[in-house]
Amino acid sequence: MNTVLSRANSLFAFSLSVMAALTFGCFVTTAFKDRRVPVDIHVSKVMLKNVDDFTGPRERSDLGFLTFDLSSDILWNPIFDWNVKQLFLYLSAEYATKSNALNQVVLWDKIILRGENTKLKLRDMKSKYFFFDDGNGLRANKNITLSLSWNVVPNAGILPLVAGSGQVSLPFPESYETTKSY
Amino acid sequence: MDYKGQKLAEQIFQGIILISAVIGFVYGLIIEQFGWTVYIVLAGFAVSCVLTLPPWPMYRQNPLPWQPAIPETSGEPSQKPQETLKKKKHK
Repeated sequence: MNTVLSRANSLFAFSLSVMAALTFGCFVTTAFKDRRVPVDIHVSKVMLKNVDDFTGPRERSDLGFLTFDLSSDILWNPIFDWNVKQLFLYLSAEYATKSNALNQVVLWDKIILRGENTKLKLRDMKSKYFFFDDGNGLRANKNITLSLSWNVVPNAGILPLVAGSGQVSLPFPESYETTKSY
Repeated sequence: MDYKGQKLAEQIFQGIILISAVIGFVYGLIIEQFGWTVYIVLAGFAVSCVLTLPPWPMYRQNPLPWQPAIPETSGEPSQKPQETLKKKKHK
């Protein structure tokens, strides 16, 4: 402490320790928060095709097309506390087939940054990613469940995965859409 | 900077940084912005840098009481003062 450099050293080290303690405090204040939000998912149109899946075996696979509305009436602001940088929302479909007890396909996702418009109201959304089954498990599947989940990306601490309450189950059509307009 | 000044400087920067940390934590918690907490702590860091890094006169209020300089004797011009210096150092 008798020279400028030794004082600078201890000052810097002390500030760094205090900053680390504050960051931990930030994590502790938000670690046990419930970040679930009710979400309303509505599927307006379902279309099913049977097309060539060039990535897999040379057979035709089921490809689903969904048009859906997403809305969440309450503001998302309570989610955005001081330990949240962004939310990564994704809509996933879960269903069971003969070959797999659980299939999960991500259909759509969205990143919500801090300070963006946090009210979720989306109409007639098309899925961002292909809803391909690895066989023919989509046709006449009675129970395909869509649910919205999100990762909370924090400043410090764990990366929680939150499932939004409010999921929708829908049956898929019995027959394939005939593809004429390619 | 004398010994008491060093102690004072340490207490000053610890106090400033801890106070700014508490203020920043409460403020950031209220407005839900952790960035402001960091900024406030950085401001406290800057203030304490200005206050404690340079050897300001307030840290030099208690200088060490050195022995008075012994006037040079004519017989041994350089031998005696060096011995006294060495003794002082060991004290």
